Amino acid sequence: MIALARGERVGRIVVYALLFVIMVITLYPFWHVIMYSLSDSQPAMSGGLFLWPRELNFAAYGLMFRSGAIFTAYGNTVFRTGVGTSLGIVVTAMLAYPLSRRRLKGRNIITMGVFIPMLFQGGLIPLYLVVANLGLLNSRWALILPVLVAPYNVFIMRNYFQHLPDSLEESANIDGATPLRTLFSIIIPVSMPVIAAVAMFYGVFHWNYYIDGVLYIDQSRKQILQVFLRAMLSGSSLAQLNNLDDFTATEGMTEQTMLMATVGASMVPVLLVYPWLQKYYVKGVMIGSIKG
Amino acid sequence: MASNLTRSDTAVPLNQRGIWFYLRRDWMFYAMMVPGIVYFLTFKYWPIYGVSFAFRDYNIFTGAAPWMGTEAFERLFSLPGFWRAFRNNVIISFAKLIFGFPAPIILSLLINEVAHRHYKKLVQTSVLLPSFISWVIIGGLMLAILSPNSGVLQAALEWFGYRGRIVNLMASKEHFRGVIVATYVWRQWGVGTIIYLAAIASIDPQLYEAATIDGAGRWRQLFSITLPSLRLTIIILLILRVGDLMEAGFEQIFAIYNPLVYEVAEIIDTYVYKVGLVDRNFSLATAAGLFKSVIGLVMVLGANWVAKRIDRESGLI
Repeated sequence: MIALARGERVGRIVVYALLFVIMVITLYPFWHVIMYSLSDSQPAMSGGLFLWPRELNFAAYGLMFRSGAIFTAYGNTVFRTGVGTSLGIVVTAMLAYPLSRRRLKGRNIITMGVFIPMLFQGGLIPLYLVVANLGLLNSRWALILPVLVAPYNVFIMRNYFQHLPDSLEESANIDGATPLRTLFSIIIPVSMPVIAAVAMFYGVFHWNYYIDGVLYIDQSRKQILQVFLRAMLSGSSLAQLNNLDDFTATEGMTEQTMLMATVGASMVPVLLVYPWLQKYYVKGVMIGSIKG
Repeated sequence: MASNLTRSDTAVPLNQRGIWFYLRRDWMFYAMMVPGIVYFLTFKYWPIYGVSFAFRDYNIFTGAAPWMGTEAFERLFSLPGFWRAFRNNVIISFAKLIFGFPAPIILSLLINEVAHRHYKKLVQTSVLLPSFISWVIIGGLMLAILSPNSGVLQAALEWFGYRGRIVNLMASKEHFRGVIVATYVWRQWGVGTIIYLAAIASIDPQLYEAATIDGAGRWRQLFSITLPSLRLTIIILLILRVGDLMEAGFEQIFAIYNPLVYEVAEIIDTYVYKVGLVDRNFSLATAAGLFKSVIGLVMVLGANWVAKRIDRESGLI
């Protein structure tokens, strides 16, 4: 290693220290919530920094899953994320693949049709009225269909398909494969980086988005986790949320501990898949930033 | 199969082929696009047609919607609530631009100074994490950190010798916008580093080697090599960001705002929600939404025009 001048060595120490502080500020809140939720309610109440749980206690998580309401909300979020992401990828790929074929007549008009909504959207109320007109209010499909395809994802997939060698498709044609078969058995398998990136974009979106839950769903058994959490945050008493209160009273649990456990439970899945998430996400952002 | 017809049909000159030829040859390509096209027509274009409710008097009970011209806009512009939302929208989104735009550049430059590969990877991975977390969950984290009763901020300040009691930042008119902007930066700057770090990595290392031989220190290299090389990336990202200036952050604010801070935190999107879905005044709410969309459109087109003048390859259109 090249010997650094004294001033540069000090500079480096400052940078390393600064980044360490930034890391702490970034990660501590997550750590805090998980440690708090694993603590016994009484010692946790005094607050402050939590490096470890105070009197390790899983009761809040146990209660959460027994209470039904949160468990159901969890299931609804898993459902919308799973179905929304898989359907979204299939429909996006089936739109992006033909748009990547230069010889296809009319592809410019359709490309324009995909692009315009990136510039101009009808807005909250007109979309709400469409969902209402289709009879989707209070249906789990209202959380999937209106956000099924993102124009941006169509474009990054199309750009990726465009840069695949023509020989791939030609060899499929010689074998007599139909376009649909070519897409699913040849194009998609060789496009895994972009498919994975788009899956990440859709998956993260479905897991995190909640405005549609507020707008379209008002039956608690169909409600998603994030809306549930929002209600807890905005101080609706837990009693309104399916009699959680009865449980908390008998088990001496504070609302704060319940809240922390719910926050913890809703971010744990994201934290678990995070290593893959960030890997494909970074690739996706890079693919997206290159104009095709 | 259909696509194999190409060769046998080349006897007919290209320009004489009608639409039926292409439909027959590529029917499966068109069929494949049907679900996507139906999606766009239903959930993108039907709502665009729906903005006409801003000019019609929609009756929720009968479904009738006779035309009424610009009446909804006239009413909207006479409401102080709307102007308050508009003002907050502009203030919050400007503050997010001013603090949020340089943040990832500075963070990237810091990360770039790290010589140890593992530490660098660790920092990058950490700062990206919050951008995958829902705004609602972040609201929960903020509550845990900022609450004056049990909060971490209070404990941390006391550790540094602070003897007072902090105010509840999430219920304080003076601080709420600051909290919104700070958490926005905290959540988003990691994502911003992806493109900047990639741009820094693509700078020719020979430039740095030559500069080192010439005796240029790290600061000198930063100002003479790194920043000039990033200039175009910065300009393009800035312009594209300006195009989003009407977005003050619906998901973020809607997750945590409360009656105590409506005065400073109500933005156009939350206003549309209240007027439309709480008060059920669809025409008025659609008009407010349309007002925002049109300004947004003008800004995107303007930003794009500027981007193209600077670099022909960039811009959306």
